[in-house]
Amino acid sequence: MAEAATIGDGRAAGWKKLRRRLAPWAPLLVLLALCIAIALVNGRFVSLRNFARIADAASIPLVLGLGVTFVILMGSIDLSMEGVVAFAAIILCLLVANGANANDFGLLGALAVLVIGAAMGFANGIVHVGLQIPSFMVTLGMWFVGIGIGNAILGGIQVRVNDPLIRALALEQFLGLKFQVWLALGALAVAWVVQEHTRLGRYIFAIGGGEDLARLSGIRTGLVRIATFTMAGVFYALAGIMAAAQQGSAFALIGGGRLFTAITAVVVGGTALWGGQGGVLNTLIGVLIVVVLANGMVLMGVSPYVQQIVQGLLIIAAVALSVDRMRAKLVK
Amino acid sequence: MNRDTLRQLMPIVTLVVLVVLVAAFQPSFVNPATLLGMASDTATLFVLGMGVTFVIMLGGIDLSIQSVASLASVAVALLITPLGYLAFPVAVLVGALAGLLSGIAHVQLKIPSFIATLAVGGVAAGVALLLADAQAITLGEVERGYVGWITGTSLGIPHEVLIALVVLALGTVVQHYTAFGRYSQAIGAGEPAAHAAGIRVGLHKTIACMLSGAAAGLAGAILAGRLASGSPTLADQLLLPAIAAVIVGGTAITGGVGSVWRTLVGALIITVVRSGMTFLNVDIFIQQSVFGAMLVIAVALTIDRSKIPIVK
Repeated sequence: MAEAATIGDGRAAGWKKLRRRLAPWAPLLVLLALCIAIALVNGRFVSLRNFARIADAASIPLVLGLGVTFVILMGSIDLSMEGVVAFAAIILCLLVANGANANDFGLLGALAVLVIGAAMGFANGIVHVGLQIPSFMVTLGMWFVGIGIGNAILGGIQVRVNDPLIRALALEQFLGLKFQVWLALGALAVAWVVQEHTRLGRYIFAIGGGEDLARLSGIRTGLVRIATFTMAGVFYALAGIMAAAQQGSAFALIGGGRLFTAITAVVVGGTALWGGQGGVLNTLIGVLIVVVLANGMVLMGVSPYVQQIVQGLLIIAAVALSVDRMRAKLVK
Repeated sequence: MNRDTLRQLMPIVTLVVLVVLVAAFQPSFVNPATLLGMASDTATLFVLGMGVTFVIMLGGIDLSIQSVASLASVAVALLITPLGYLAFPVAVLVGALAGLLSGIAHVQLKIPSFIATLAVGGVAAGVALLLADAQAITLGEVERGYVGWITGTSLGIPHEVLIALVVLALGTVVQHYTAFGRYSQAIGAGEPAAHAAGIRVGLHKTIACMLSGAAAGLAGAILAGRLASGSPTLADQLLLPAIAAVIVGGTAITGGVGSVWRTLVGALIITVVRSGMTFLNVDIFIQQSVFGAMLVIAVALTIDRSKIPIVK
């Protein structure tokens, strides 16, 4: 009896070890398997043009995902991105050459939008830390505050972007890829440097791993939290600029549905919702999984609405698989 | 006066002050017709909020209600021709099923409620888009004959108000006179203790999710009757006001404290603020922002910080 139990335990331990070793690679394996499966069903998947299309579709979700990755790494969440995207896109359209007023601030306008994004993220952070309110509630409020103010400024109309520089993001190409893809890759590089080579990056992981420990070891966790939400706001504002460029205009619902895709991507990429695990490269893989899946479904003629259903199930599956059941005793 | 009594009284005081304020600026606000109109405007919001109250009292959250309500409106619009009145219970059932799905994802798979319900909301929205082909489905002349129980009036009282009162009565009974109601308060107050006392925590969380889904389904059906159409985006603006109604009413997101009656007060506050802003010509979009800010302030006031040593 005892012997059988030992063997069983040994096997379970071996399985656990294998699982632990494989876990970091699972998202990449899923992505590869997905690509192979789609390519087998439809040969048109494997073409330079389709890859460029995938890169194009991935660029905005990637930038949004990068921002929220840092927040999730701390074990928090940020639901405000649709509000920031809408507000940023609307302000951008009103600052650069546009169809509604005489402004023509060009790059300066874009810069101002990034500052506005930072300010909205900062507001999230300061309310969250200062009033000690859970992040999902603060950012839920900011989501609607952003959309509301943006809409009020716009008065329900749609403003065209005429600035050639902004439009070029979505229209001009460099080495076969649109400018916005390069911009997204640049954002990825910045995010990676922040994560790997700055104190902020390390503190974020420390907080996600165990906030009380981080605090006891002298990290000013409140400050780090505010900085992280601010940084996330800048990423969302950048995504707002890209969205305005892609649509050629700004309108109230320009951010619609983006939160869902971004969170799916982050979670599917293997960044744990409890914090401390994952990173920006995981988010890259996660975004590609979501976008490739969508691309494959389009190629196979599946209704686009089914994609949303699949994304919802993906979130549940990915979180369920990543739950560390020992640590997650109390799930709220 | 201790903090808890203050917390209990504040929503009602706020409501009274708001009504007096708005009435001072706009005397026509207090005539019976306006008040009844306001009450029927509150109905949908209250029904949505009533369901989610139980989830919040347990310490969770339900972000799927707007998509579930929209899905239910589509179900009503599609089923009213073949099924007649049966379409409405089916819509409620669809909502309860969506809630069950959230409950299973949350309890069995141990996924935090906000992400589980976000995901289920996405699924519900997808199903609604698919069923309705992303269109609004308008009810025809014949189908409109079936929605009289929502849009009509009896003894001068709009039926929506009566439905909301029935829901209020049901909610009160569930909260005070069923094991589920008591247990959900206990779980919200202290989950480990409730678990240790032998309460089946998972079961009650699942029931709460299903109740929330069913209420969202009913709200969707009411909306479909009211607007004489069903659409996959019908309830898209209702998530924030509904959650704000619960929190502004004094139910704490940390769980354990709260009641259906508080949600009624909260829903009335939201409606009064909205009507007040409309009277004062505040831009309709700014109103969303105001609700967002109200939500955050209400959370800050009602939250029990001793329960969350680390705020994430």
